[in-house]
Amino acid sequence: MRELELYFGPQHLGMVGNFSITLQVEGDRILKATANPGYLHRGFEKLMELRSWIKNYPMVCRINVVEPDSMEMVYAMGVEKLAGHEVPERAHYVRSIYLELARVGSHLFGLWAYANMLGFDTVAQWAMYHRDLVLDLFEELTGGRVYHIYICPGGVRRDFPEGFKDKIVHTLHSIGGCVPDYNDTFFHNRLFCDRAQGIGTVTREEAIAMGGTGQVLRATGMKYDIRRVEPYAAYDKVPWEVPTRENGDAYSRIMVIRDEMIESVHMIFKLLDAMPEGDVYNRIPNPIKWTIPPGEAYVRCESSRGELGLYMVSNGEDKPYRVHFRTPSYSHGLTVLESALQNASVADVGNIMISLYVVAPEIDR
Amino acid sequence: MNDSLKEQLTSVFTDVKVFIPEEDRIVITVEKEAVLSVLSFLKNHGYSHLGLISCVDWIEEKKLELVYILSAYMQEDESYHDKERTTIILKTKISREKSEFLSVTPIFVNAEPYEREIHELYGIHFDGHNRLTPLFLERKYETPPFRKDFDTRKYVQDVFDNIPFVEKKAENK
Repeated sequence: MRELELYFGPQHLGMVGNFSITLQVEGDRILKATANPGYLHRGFEKLMELRSWIKNYPMVCRINVVEPDSMEMVYAMGVEKLAGHEVPERAHYVRSIYLELARVGSHLFGLWAYANMLGFDTVAQWAMYHRDLVLDLFEELTGGRVYHIYICPGGVRRDFPEGFKDKIVHTLHSIGGCVPDYNDTFFHNRLFCDRAQGIGTVTREEAIAMGGTGQVLRATGMKYDIRRVEPYAAYDKVPWEVPTRENGDAYSRIMVIRDEMIESVHMIFKLLDAMPEGDVYNRIPNPIKWTIPPGEAYVRCESSRGELGLYMVSNGEDKPYRVHFRTPSYSHGLTVLESALQNASVADVGNIMISLYVVAPEIDR
Repeated sequence: MNDSLKEQLTSVFTDVKVFIPEEDRIVITVEKEAVLSVLSFLKNHGYSHLGLISCVDWIEEKKLELVYILSAYMQEDESYHDKERTTIILKTKISREKSEFLSVTPIFVNAEPYEREIHELYGIHFDGHNRLTPLFLERKYETPPFRKDFDTRKYVQDVFDNIPFVEKKAENK
């Protein structure tokens, strides 16, 4: 049969985000896939070297459009580590609640993308509506819907407004009440199961060899989650479970995402109950003249897609000397995706890519 | 546990400096000849997760510093150990003018895109890498754009200020 070269993306219905894949196909079978990032390369890491520590806060969140909050968190962790700045106890809880809300919002967005791509339009609309409810919470808390710039060095920008706890509980209950509907129409729907089961399988050995983290690894049964492995914020203060699946296919990954969403909601309730009173902010020195002693730091946190790391070097000036983000989609989108697409069918390309939870702005930075 | 790793490393390798700045972090400085053997030593000792390869341009020393960040996956399925908490930062310096180094792709498969990125943004050539094609950038640059002597403002003025306005173009026609 004749070999063909097919371009999948950046303008393609099955492609989410500015990303493209070049496919060598023979009939319906993919012989070789080449990922082409770079449509969104904005050189953030270089730009950050030219701006002061505090001016970088509004920039880091723009690296990952879908989930900006863990970007803020990892940058704040890095700056606090280099500067030796402490965070008050209550701010740790506020940060955790805020990050878990962001995780729910991001997973709902991912669910929208997945359901929409496979043609489950109703589920997609529900997920988008429920994400909007989470964004309403963010709007009340921070003033912004997508980019929040809420975490700042030394804590968070402001405390919860009055009655905000009840609003969180109310919103999460109304989303959680729809889980049976989601199960019936999507997760346990035979149409979906047939499309996703046994597709894009990544075994544990492959995931480990290719630097997989997050859902890619947890779908193979390993409970690797940075919130557990190296706890930050208030994740070691309340009990919670790391959801896993065994098969490593697209279905296992999306089920891990569903379970994680439910676990996050439970975690938020526990954190709200355990939250102490007190300040949410430790003052930093004058932020315009703020210099940080020379040194280097590597910090990591668990974003909704996997291990998010930050390597940061300071040379004692008012700007970072070098910033480098380790984003989870980088390995998933460039190494794991290329290997998972080999011998797959052309019809499953979008399916596999979204189930690996690849988000393009995170790869390009 | 980190101290025992430090002892093992310093007994096996001669030109290795190990420094433990805090709990859970190990900083290893090696000469560039020893990088591959130290990396495979660490991989065989369970640090099999290559998190990141980064590069820092120390322009005053005329050196480029390559940084490999390693950590460990879980040893057992259910329980968590100190080993997973530990992050190893392995650093080596190479010459800025003659920027060549060996690829670590034979040891870590996922090093491939990181080395492509560093090749493109810092101009380091990795011997043994079989796919050093452009990853992100579209144009050719005389100075690799992430080096400290690359003047972003001058580049923007040179390239983008010379693009004629669309209306003027239309008038000329």
